[in-house]
Amino acid sequence: MSSPLGAAESPPRARQLARSITATWWYTVIAIAAFEAILVVAWTSLAVRAGAPLVTTLLIGLGGGVWLLSTLLLLFAYRHRGDFEPTRPRAQVAMLLGVAVAYGAVAGTLAGSWSLALIPIAQSLVLLNWPDGIRYRVLSVATIALACLAVADSFQGGSVAAGEWWVLVYTALVPAMAVSSLWWWDVLVVLDHARASEARLAATQERLRVATDVHDLQGHHLQVIALQLELAERLHTSAPETALEHLHAARTSVGEARQGTRDLATRFRTVPLGDELANARDLLTAAGLTVEAHIAPDADLAPATDLGPVIRETTTNVLRHGGGHRARLTLAREVRSWRYEISNDAPHTAAGDGSGLDGIRRRITEAGGTLDVQRGDEFTVIVTVPDAEQGER
Amino acid sequence: MIRVLLADDEGMIRSALAALLRLEDDIDVIAECADGEQAIAEATRLKPDVCLLDLEMPGLDGVEVAERLRRTVATRCVIVTRHARPGVLRRALASGVAGFLPKSRDAAEVAAVIRRVANGTRYVDPEIAADALSDERSPLTDRELDVLRAGRRGETTAQIASTLSLAPGTVRNHISTILTKLAVATRQQAVLLAEERGWI
Repeated sequence: MSSPLGAAESPPRARQLARSITATWWYTVIAIAAFEAILVVAWTSLAVRAGAPLVTTLLIGLGGGVWLLSTLLLLFAYRHRGDFEPTRPRAQVAMLLGVAVAYGAVAGTLAGSWSLALIPIAQSLVLLNWPDGIRYRVLSVATIALACLAVADSFQGGSVAAGEWWVLVYTALVPAMAVSSLWWWDVLVVLDHARASEARLAATQERLRVATDVHDLQGHHLQVIALQLELAERLHTSAPETALEHLHAARTSVGEARQGTRDLATRFRTVPLGDELANARDLLTAAGLTVEAHIAPDADLAPATDLGPVIRETTTNVLRHGGGHRARLTLAREVRSWRYEISNDAPHTAAGDGSGLDGIRRRITEAGGTLDVQRGDEFTVIVTVPDAEQGER
Repeated sequence: MIRVLLADDEGMIRSALAALLRLEDDIDVIAECADGEQAIAEATRLKPDVCLLDLEMPGLDGVEVAERLRRTVATRCVIVTRHARPGVLRRALASGVAGFLPKSRDAAEVAAVIRRVANGTRYVDPEIAADALSDERSPLTDRELDVLRAGRRGETTAQIASTLSLAPGTVRNHISTILTKLAVATRQQAVLLAEERGWI
């Protein structure tokens, strides 16, 4: 029951989704920033056309830039909502809102517009991390207020006057557009959480199934062992020889039960070949060897069923025999094959290595590959297996 | 005669294994300990040739005992475990453990390993090695693991930031990436997951 989560949801896919979520977040930020930028540019160009002095124009334009930056900071605080700690201290939020109020006051007075006076603080307020439902009330109030002020502005005349009514309409709509972008982002986050829960649910179901299998298996073996032991107990005075046999049988059953449980637990345990090699490198390094590893970046594409056991056997050999100071690990793609090579500067004794390597040689030969063992100052195993993908083409 | 210290918190297993090992001609069990602290005290006093340490013990675990003994006593440590959690073999090898085997091995095999280790060679059980090789790799970067480690006792973002000399905003960004990568909702869950998989 090593990593059922990994079995249900492969990490590369999860990483890819994580990247798409981040991309969507940036898309949301850029959209909201663009709405605000258009707003600032529209009001600045109104001021220019109304023949306002340069200072007024600059204050409206540059002040708008500052305000836009302050809303971006609010947005980044929004990104981390749902974490338990408040993402930005209240004092900072108050300061950012203060920027909005100040810009509204200055720009509204200079342009002689109520709409422009209200929009910065209205927009900053709707971007705050409101609890569900409250944001829509804030938005409604802001939009209604902006609409009323737009009407007031158009009657009042002033620098807004002369038929530029679309700027007023756009101004009243900006908070609504920003909120709808954020709504879309929230939906996406919820969907992403749902996906993660689904993967976890699948993993849990798998775990339950394995638990049932383990229960059945253990139950069966325990019964066999209990019977064997009972027999041995009864027979140990009358027929000690037979009793011993039953004791032995009981021990064999224990071994079988253990192996069966292990097989069940490791049944779903597959890791990409690249990860396995990286683990091998880490283990050898931890064992105090200087490891030189050359692992092809597309190592995960190599035939794992053939190479996996080879990597396990050879790494274990280096680990268990210890000795040596250096090890070299290579997995490289050649023209039509994959080449795996491991070498260690400890001369291995032939005894003990033989059986494991023979088993591997058989497997590799069946897969149409070759295995070459070089003993000398260094102990080297070189394995080549045909590239399964190339073969199919 | 190889002098062996045995540490296991399960009394039945400890006494049975000790009795079985004493049956071997060349092995003498000189101490039986029920936890890590006791194992360190006894090992320091008796200087055994080989320490057979259970991995799962209350207080100090087997690897921690081995790590402390390495600096003080000339003895070789063998770790025994029921279920090797990910990352344990790496940790054990790094702390100079000479042998690692599962609890399911019978006493004769354990005795063989004790002899090998006493002779100065290392022994890593193939089953344990295979498990360690198929550990799931952590999708997190070193920095992200640092952040999780610094916050594993529920420290605030500000505390993590000052521990790692980072800006609080950077820490928040790391945490956000971690939550996305691991598909969990809170930092606590991320810490639990990472501990369970042996990443931190």
